[in-house]
Amino acid sequence: MRILGVLWLSFCTVQSFAQEPDTTIVDDDYIEEDFSIYADVEIAGGGKRFCTSKVFDQSPNKLVSLGWDFQGSHTLTLDELGDSPAQDLEVQSVQGFRFGANFPVVSKTNILINLGVNYWESHYRIDNRDQHPLAQALQARALRTSGVLATVFKPLNETHFILFQGAANLSGDYFFPDFQSLNLTRYSATFIYGWKKHDRLLYGFGLTRTYRIGEANYVPVLLYNYTFPSRKWGIEAVFPARANLRRSFSSRSLAFIGYELEGQSYRMGSIQGLDGIADPELRRSELRIRATFEHSLKDFIWVSAQLGLRYNWNFNLDDGDLFRGFGDEDYALENDLTNALYFTISLNLVSP
Amino acid sequence: MKQIILSTTFFFLCSSFVVAQEEADAILGVWESGSGKARIKIDKSGELYYGRIVWLREPKDENGKPKVDKNNPDEKLRNKPLLGYRMLKNFSFVGDKTWEDGTIYDPENGSTYSCTIEMKNKNTLDVRGFIGVSLFGRTDVWKRVTIKKRS
Repeated sequence: MRILGVLWLSFCTVQSFAQEPDTTIVDDDYIEEDFSIYADVEIAGGGKRFCTSKVFDQSPNKLVSLGWDFQGSHTLTLDELGDSPAQDLEVQSVQGFRFGANFPVVSKTNILINLGVNYWESHYRIDNRDQHPLAQALQARALRTSGVLATVFKPLNETHFILFQGAANLSGDYFFPDFQSLNLTRYSATFIYGWKKHDRLLYGFGLTRTYRIGEANYVPVLLYNYTFPSRKWGIEAVFPARANLRRSFSSRSLAFIGYELEGQSYRMGSIQGLDGIADPELRRSELRIRATFEHSLKDFIWVSAQLGLRYNWNFNLDDGDLFRGFGDEDYALENDLTNALYFTISLNLVSP
Repeated sequence: MKQIILSTTFFFLCSSFVVAQEEADAILGVWESGSGKARIKIDKSGELYYGRIVWLREPKDENGKPKVDKNNPDEKLRNKPLLGYRMLKNFSFVGDKTWEDGTIYDPENGSTYSCTIEMKNKNTLDVRGFIGVSLFGRTDVWKRVTIKKRS
């Protein structure tokens, strides 16, 4: 029996030594050796490789963003409404918070799913606002957008991918205790089929349903992310929504010059019924031509400062969320805004 | 009889230790990151696990020179080569096919993240880098690669 015990003990010991891994003791963070043996490999179990959603040096994804947007003075030209004649009013400023959060809920090599929420508000300061009900509503109630969005990036292989983004937004002159009906939710979606040609070039073509011109429309879309071989310059574009030329000073400091078209359709509940307009929809759309500087303050906390010109694309009013497409149906109110300088500053928590 | 019981107990203790050690060391080997841009060899030092870059899809910089750790927050280390750099550090095996309490370094931006590694199967790792809490993070799926024998 003693022999049996010794045999078991020996067996255990031999097993322990047999399992001792073929390891390299690492004494330093930097090791030099012949790395060429790692060039010719195959994926164990026959796995498949997939492309990623980013190119080299692309700006980091913002997990959480809290910002302040400010537009300087400009003139608001309002159409006749009810007893109020058409008139020009001076807008001293338009300002408000912008909050966004966007988290990866599924982050796998073969699929990425992000879910997010956003909240934007615009408070108006208008001289002589009491002369026009729309100006009154803008100053008294502000414009707000609350929304959710989902993004799915599905790589098909090392080169091809599908990108889908869907968003649902409630936009209007509501207050939070007096929230807007969910029936007024506006839906946007984008579908893109793309190619990742190499680590510095990714592009795709698709179709989007968007409110960026203030009202629903369907337009073709081009995704184009490119980093030049020098790695100092790049392009980040989802045309026609936005396009930016990027300058990388380091991995923690980036600058951009470009534009973005921003827009929503706002249900103006406070002027409902005026002049026979049952469902007033303010079609607000702005082309923002701007320069942006983004810098890592500490680790994953980035600051973003943006300065530019806000060019009015649309500030007309419809009765109902009708689909105009590229047609030329008249608006219930045809308004106008002169252009204004603006800046946006935000603090951001960026993704690993 | 007493000897048999003692020996049997000792055997099971040894076997458990060996099995646990095997499970912990299952992470050893060469892995390819989800992007396919890098291969990382995971080694062991003492009871802790480390991973260093052993292959880069683009090993040269824009000037045709071997890439260095140019984004490292420590200026003294910015001329060190990326190949061979220890980007995974101090992982402990905590059971249930999971290694925790380590960090992962991203050479593309010079940031170091908290990190957990979970083995989904013997050839697949879920490597989750995060900031503070796991919610603020991203999971990368690494695949085990085997080195082809040279003829």
